[in-house]
Amino acid sequence: MDCKEVSLTLFLFFDNEMEEELLTPFKDHVGHCGDCAKRMDYTRKLLLMVRVKVIRCTAPESLRHRILTSMPHRRTVPGPH
Amino acid sequence: MSKDTASHQKGWNFEAAAMPFVDALYNTAYRMTRNAEDAEDLVQETYLKAYRYYDKFEEGTNFKAWLFKIMKNTFINNYRKKQQAPALSDFAEIEESFENQVSEDVARQLKNPEEELLENVLDEDVQGALDKLPPDYRMVVILADLEGFSYKEIAEILEVPVGTVMSRLYRGRRLLEAAMLDFAREHGYLREGEPAKMRSRATLAPK
Repeated sequence: MDCKEVSLTLFLFFDNEMEEELLTPFKDHVGHCGDCAKRMDYTRKLLLMVRVKVIRCTAPESLRHRILTSMPHRRTVPGPH
Repeated sequence: MSKDTASHQKGWNFEAAAMPFVDALYNTAYRMTRNAEDAEDLVQETYLKAYRYYDKFEEGTNFKAWLFKIMKNTFINNYRKKQQAPALSDFAEIEESFENQVSEDVARQLKNPEEELLENVLDEDVQGALDKLPPDYRMVVILADLEGFSYKEIAEILEVPVGTVMSRLYRGRRLLEAAMLDFAREHGYLREGEPAKMRSRATLAPK
């Protein structure tokens, strides 16, 4: 695997989407190439920031209530008509 | 009466299956609409549609991805109705070849200032940079990095090939990175060794 192939597959590696047979050549190259090791370290930091720093919004209680009360099975009571 | 009971059972089944995803859907809706009121409407509409089409859901397939697909379609329709900004999935023509993008990036050596700048990105910068991404790229980054969907699941949700997911994600993350670094520069977190042009901006700041 060369530097270009590493760059091409860097995100796949961090996304756990890399094909099994590419893992060894990928790690071999990065283990021996300073530039790619640096690039990999930088990418790891970048992805970690995106995954950790963005605040997850939780649905307001009023929305849950709105959704539940709009569902037909909660609006109608089964029984004789 | 038995029909009523069956439809009631369907309702309760749907509720039990779908309600655990309300936070994930709302989070994505909020990041896409960037507005609490629109996000609530989008999620509510998603649930109503999902309820209506629950019979069409194939048991054994990914229910969370199915809900997100409904929300994606609802989002596209609503935005088209409002005639707002770029519609999702309509921009295939501007998508560059994945390999070309990578080649350019490989040619561009990673510079030390970029590494340093990354250290100076504030929490709110990451969010600000994400909010600035064009909708198609924002969506794919949210699905991958915030919701943890696999490429295959994202392909299902967006109804595009896996290759398109990969290239959009690549481009989206690069745009995000560029925006984050821009924020870091704007904040004036400049260190020795930065280009003089940028340093002069920092020295212009009132003392």
